Amino acid sequence: MPVDKVTLEILKNHTRAAAESMAYTLYRTAHSTFVKETEDFTTGLTTPEGETFAAPTELGATWFVGLNYGRAIAMIDDYRPGDIAMTNDPYSGFVSTHSPDMHIWKPVFHEDKIIAFSVGHIHNTDVGGAVPASLSRTLSEVHQEGVRIPPVKIMQEGQLNRQVLDIFLANVRAPEQNWGDLKAQIAACNTGERKVHEMVARFGMDTFREGVADLLDYAEAQARSIIRTLPNGSYPFADYMDEDSVDGRPCRMKLTVIIRDDDLIFDFTGSDPQLESSLNMPTGGDERHVLLLVGMTYVLYSLDRSLYLNSGIARVCRCILPSGTMVNPVFPAAVGMRTLSCYRLHGLTFGAFAQAAPKHMAGAPGSGGPIVNVNTIDNRTGRRIMAAVSPMSGGGGGRAAGDGQDGSGANQGFLKNTPTEVNEAEAGIKVLRFGLARDSAGPGQHRGGLGTELVFQAFSPNTRVTARNRDRTHFTGWGIAGGLPGAASRFIRNPGTGREVDLGNTDILSIDPGDVIHVTCGGAGGWGDPLQRDPEAVLLDWQRGWVSTEHAHDAYGVVISGGAVDAPATQARRAARSKEGTGTFYDVGPERAAFEAIWTDANYDALTECLAALPVNWRFYAKHRIFDAVDRLAPEARCGDGSEVRAAFAALRAEFPQLEAAFSR
Amino acid sequence: MPQDTEIKTNSEIGGSIRIGVDIGGTFTDFCVFDEATGVLGTLKVLSTPDMPGAEVMQGLTELRRRHGQMAADIGFFTHGTTVGVNTVIQRQGAALALFTTRAFEDVLEVARLKTPDPYDIFSRRPPPLAPRERVYGITERVLKDGSIETPIDPKDVWGAVAKAKAAGADTIVVALLHAYANPANERAVRDAIWAAAPDMTVTLSSDVWPVIREYERTVTATVAGYVQRRVAAYIGSLQAALRDAGVSATPMITKSNGGIMAAELGKTDPVGMLLSGTASGAIGAADAAARIGAADVLSFDVGGTSADVAVIQGGKPAFGTGELVGAFPIYVPTVSVTSIGAGGGSIAWVDDFGVLKVGPDSAGSAPGPACYGRGGDRPTVTDAFVVMGLLGGGELGYGAVKLNHAAAARAVGGIAERLSLGLTQAAESIVNVAVSGMYLEVAKLMSRRGADPRAFSLLAFGGAGPMLGSLFAREVGMARAIVPPTPGVLSAYGGLIADIRNDFIRTAFVDLDAEGLATLEHHACSLEAQALAWLREEQGFQGETRLIWSADMRYLGQSYEIETPLDRGDLASGRAEALARSFHDEHARLYDHADAEAPVQAVNLRLTVNGSVPKPVLAEAPVQPGPAAPKGHTQVFLDGTAHEAALYDRADLLPGQQFAGPAVVSQDDCTTVVPPGFSVEVDPRHNLILTREG
Repeated sequence: MPVDKVTLEILKNHTRAAAESMAYTLYRTAHSTFVKETEDFTTGLTTPEGETFAAPTELGATWFVGLNYGRAIAMIDDYRPGDIAMTNDPYSGFVSTHSPDMHIWKPVFHEDKIIAFSVGHIHNTDVGGAVPASLSRTLSEVHQEGVRIPPVKIMQEGQLNRQVLDIFLANVRAPEQNWGDLKAQIAACNTGERKVHEMVARFGMDTFREGVADLLDYAEAQARSIIRTLPNGSYPFADYMDEDSVDGRPCRMKLTVIIRDDDLIFDFTGSDPQLESSLNMPTGGDERHVLLLVGMTYVLYSLDRSLYLNSGIARVCRCILPSGTMVNPVFPAAVGMRTLSCYRLHGLTFGAFAQAAPKHMAGAPGSGGPIVNVNTIDNRTGRRIMAAVSPMSGGGGGRAAGDGQDGSGANQGFLKNTPTEVNEAEAGIKVLRFGLARDSAGPGQHRGGLGTELVFQAFSPNTRVTARNRDRTHFTGWGIAGGLPGAASRFIRNPGTGREVDLGNTDILSIDPGDVIHVTCGGAGGWGDPLQRDPEAVLLDWQRGWVSTEHAHDAYGVVISGGAVDAPATQARRAARSKEGTGTFYDVGPERAAFEAIWTDANYDALTECLAALPVNWRFYAKHRIFDAVDRLAPEARCGDGSEVRAAFAALRAEFPQLEAAFSR
Repeated sequence: MPQDTEIKTNSEIGGSIRIGVDIGGTFTDFCVFDEATGVLGTLKVLSTPDMPGAEVMQGLTELRRRHGQMAADIGFFTHGTTVGVNTVIQRQGAALALFTTRAFEDVLEVARLKTPDPYDIFSRRPPPLAPRERVYGITERVLKDGSIETPIDPKDVWGAVAKAKAAGADTIVVALLHAYANPANERAVRDAIWAAAPDMTVTLSSDVWPVIREYERTVTATVAGYVQRRVAAYIGSLQAALRDAGVSATPMITKSNGGIMAAELGKTDPVGMLLSGTASGAIGAADAAARIGAADVLSFDVGGTSADVAVIQGGKPAFGTGELVGAFPIYVPTVSVTSIGAGGGSIAWVDDFGVLKVGPDSAGSAPGPACYGRGGDRPTVTDAFVVMGLLGGGELGYGAVKLNHAAAARAVGGIAERLSLGLTQAAESIVNVAVSGMYLEVAKLMSRRGADPRAFSLLAFGGAGPMLGSLFAREVGMARAIVPPTPGVLSAYGGLIADIRNDFIRTAFVDLDAEGLATLEHHACSLEAQALAWLREEQGFQGETRLIWSADMRYLGQSYEIETPLDRGDLASGRAEALARSFHDEHARLYDHADAEAPVQAVNLRLTVNGSVPKPVLAEAPVQPGPAAPKGHTQVFLDGTAHEAALYDRADLLPGQQFAGPAVVSQDDCTTVVPPGFSVEVDPRHNLILTREG
């Protein structure tokens, strides 16, 4: 029997208090600085079946709302009071989505029945493997990404399982950090357990059980009512990462959002085959895996911020996930850098929903800026310095309601920068500029947000600069409804000198004393025709140093002279240009347009179809061979109807007769 | 800084009346202590936001009428005001320009990147107080060690001044990189500004709060610059009004750090007093609780639109950095008060799924709850209490408001209909949902500090605190709630008992080695001289003085610091291990773990100077145990059923008297609700001590 709607609201407040208290306990007692800086952790309470009914919203990662622990929970039998289980294996139970994420869950008993699980994860700074911090795009097998702990009890009836702990800690680079953080996780789970007992005492067992089910139903009902405001239809969209591996080919992610009344289907058919780099997203084929639904949760919540965030939301969607693709890789594909793919998928989801909700949604979020770290020697003390310099984030897209937030926002609203003064005091560098990158915003009637920009100088030889998640050097963030794409991101060594080097999507390099690094995040996409933008708004951006005189003229048709808008010149300029524009809903920019002139939908569909027929271990190789073959074609030989792809594939089959076994199976 | 402020102390003047005033948005509260009799009196008048100072005069007139007190009898006058906060919230402050180091002009726009609601992809940061088009980069550079790489070129500054003036700026905030390490370039910019524009108001980040982290220092300085002119004008008019009224005591103002200072100093240092109202409430609560031996207390100050809660542990209120003034964080030491968007005026509604919600919308004081009969027709928490029969026995705000029961019933009736509940059940549902929302916020607050609410007492005050306090204490699991005799004016009381207090900081950024300790010691000497000069010369204070030392320390590699108490002797003698041990202890206290082997850094050295002001000795009445006599009975609805509740008049209750819930205690400015299961005792200072049975 459902609980009444007053008790439900009161129970909701109590469950949220439990989840938030768990988060504060974890945050307060965690050892590693990484947890304090990035808040890359979660806490929560799940049903005995693993559906999360309460999650914190003030602290912690925004990505894991509604994570379902069911498959991991089921991998352990015979739970007893005082047990705590853990796993970080991306291929066991599919709660951990890369090896640094250690998830733990504790059964909460009432009398002798499990009534809930108290759960959570922390991103460990390092879990061993081939590289420090365990993450690199260059890795191709999960085995290289650190120790893997399949679901196992770390606590048995309140007693620490020392053997398991020792195996874990023997395989990591800073064991005291991992152990300290694990203790904080255990403390958080114990807090959750205590809070569940308090709720049972406060509300009674029946009301608690029914109420928890109702809270999941409530979030589901809210989500469905939001979806009902959107028109039925099929909304396909694709986006790319510049590279599918170091110096590789473009990596395509495709999503078709299908809205049917109050149901959603996310069809990922057309996304690239699983990669020989660590950009894969491990979902185990779970059609409601949280990693695939982050963008959906962002969209639904942003359309109606009263949406209660729990697993009930995930029930409204089903994903179609072809096996052996980057969204459903098979063991042992590396997955460590799935972060970048996830970011791209968020934007892709926003873009697909933009067709269904053009009045609300925005251009592409700013993207491609890295998390910059510096490893150098302090010349004064001789001490080795490893410093997190800053995440280089981008802004939100322009939309009907106005310009996008500059510098951060959209799916990067949770990041925090490192102050310039702290960077100079600690990181052994001098910061020459930190701010918003001029002319980076995607032009539009409402422009996108500007990307952040950092210029710094090193003072020691062999200063190692890492720039994780570099992207958008080539393909830029699309605009919508007449808006233009944001500027590309940039990563340049010694700009404006004879020694200038464009580093492209490089994510690690060594620089010399005196070298200067310039890095920017790509800008967010605009909304609406930039020629319709209020000239005074363009002037204000010019006064703010965010738009140059040339860009005002070229992108907005606004002529600024003597610090003011030259109205007649602007009118003339705009009249001459008013016939421009692509006339399509998305403006993806010239680079992507050129690529898609060759790699048409038909060609990519043919590629998807051909590769799907191959054994998984051949697909990435075959993709690159087919790209090479298409590259070699003379422009007039390209039809864009899939035929050149099929021809290249046929040639490949002829070259490798051993493949025929796969086709005859 | 003015050096000639004449301070007259109590003893010099001989006046025996001490007055604390808290000027809020709706009411202005007076707390009056007569040293001759030990008696504490209170008064509430309506605030006059359009005529600052007028309410103070009105209150003094009223006090004279009631008690025959003369202005000349006033030996001590302190007050807190929201004029600064309102300036920010209503965006009525200065037309600011901001001068930054060139290439760092976006400092306020970028802030610390994080958006207010990261789950909302459309979330936006509030527009800065200094708009970007009035931010001008100055060619200059100070390095991290304070050395000047590029000095100021006055011509460059004059160019920026000309642009700022042309853009309409009347105040210039200067915040340059590493100015905490060396303010010389900021001062050179100021001198250049004044050479070109002698009337310009200039605020330097190194004067306001010279601490490392450019956004934090800059935003604090912009808030200071933004409010300075209005605050100065307000203080000036108040000083004049007091002089005209014949009050010769030096007017003091309350500060966000829980202390007070001469009001004159607020004209040039306005940022320290912005959050003084809530800070004084916490100070008053801590004092009231300490007087009855309660050390761990949650202060619970509920008004019409919000509940302000502060955690007091070991008798001391917690301090915070980054407390909000409107939408902007300030980083000066501030008593940490969390504002929960739920109060007596919070509006109840039913969502599309039939779920009852309370807030965040509030009827505020205008139009106010439906029962106020001032045009409000939406159901509020206060209306629910009226329907439950718990309000209406007395009057609100000294007769300023008469309750309209029919209007309350009409408003709550709409909710009852939506929920298919009886009127009284609907009313209690509203209260229960409101209380559970407060529970959620307080649970977070306590977890953040690792505190267990069950070990705390609740100190309930403000207009709606005593009404909600016992219900809230029960939800949180607290066994005891305290309602002081003057719950409506505890902030005013807090100002009355606060010490003269100021804070000083130097960023050192050193390891705890011999070289680092020498640097700290050097800073300590200069801070001490600065602090004592402030207290002795600017405040003219010669009494009992305390210097409270601390340092913001951390383990090497951490990006956040912990303020750690410091023994000046350890510093002077170079006992690095003792300093590190203090940090390990503090780290363990806050985070449950410490690493005695890890190297420790000191980022900032802090000094608080405290000049003790004599504390009122409150008269204690003799205790005569026995049952209290109700003045009547009334029908109330609580915990799902109707009860016959005893009605008490607060003025009739005597120390030692006892009674049990269900009961309602009414007094001039608030009503205390005692649910079934609570017993009440009146203590020697007329506090009501509500204890939960079982």
